[in-house]
Amino acid sequence: MKVTVKSWTAVATWRWVANDDNCGICRMAFDGCCPDCKIPGDDCPLVWGQCSHCFHIHCIMKWLNSQQVHQQCPMCRQEWKFKE
Amino acid sequence: MANIAVARIKREFKEVVKSEEAAKCAIKVELVDNNFTELRGEIAGPPDTPYESGTFILEIKIPETYPFNPPKVRFQTKIWHPNISSVTGAICLDILRDQWAAAMTLRTVLLSLQALLAAAEPDDPQDAVVARQFKENYEIYVKTAKHWSYKYAGAPNRTPELDSKLKQLADMGVDEHRARVALSSCDWDLARATETIFS
Repeated sequence: MKVTVKSWTAVATWRWVANDDNCGICRMAFDGCCPDCKIPGDDCPLVWGQCSHCFHIHCIMKWLNSQQVHQQCPMCRQEWKFKE
Repeated sequence: MANIAVARIKREFKEVVKSEEAAKCAIKVELVDNNFTELRGEIAGPPDTPYESGTFILEIKIPETYPFNPPKVRFQTKIWHPNISSVTGAICLDILRDQWAAAMTLRTVLLSLQALLAAAEPDDPQDAVVARQFKENYEIYVKTAKHWSYKYAGAPNRTPELDSKLKQLADMGVDEHRARVALSSCDWDLARATETIFS
């Protein structure tokens, strides 16, 4: 039997590889987005700190901007430095 | 309120309701208005402290900028504790001020306040009169705190020996709370308390 593929539709799934299910700041799922965004993924990416904790970039930026003196990780209070 | 504040408070509210501590009746939270800006918290006085068997009501206000700024919390139940104002209920606790972190929640705040009742910090006082008594006359502090827990937080009366002094002031026409504050502040010395009231 000979089959000819006339057209096809690719489907892919993705998920973030994070060490937790939820963002510690907004408490929303990492596979979703922060409360100010509509579409998860590249529009609302995750970032990691050197302490290995991870947050929505929008959430951690708001937290760091709200800190007047020392910028610390909201989970472990180590000095916040972006990984890489 | 901002998106993030409402979404988070709703989750945290559920977290408290479903928590192990709520099942043991150690902490509780209720809504005051429907938009989650004001809540009413409740903590049980920890065992083996002068606050044991008391129920302490907290006023919790959620700022627009939550969780980037801490909730505003105050004791509504009158309490005798070095880090809580016996007049206004204002609390001196670092995580409600500069040590707040966005990862903290209503549940961790309520548990921290319960821990504060069990471990006072008299060297970082909110109420200088209570802190001085705590440091200089610890036994009297324990009695006074038990008495306030009985009068205002529904704990059993474990200090009946104090009642006669209050009655003597009441018989002179002094308002009950005013008499209690004066006696508590004067280490239950009736003569000194009478002097502060009538001078």
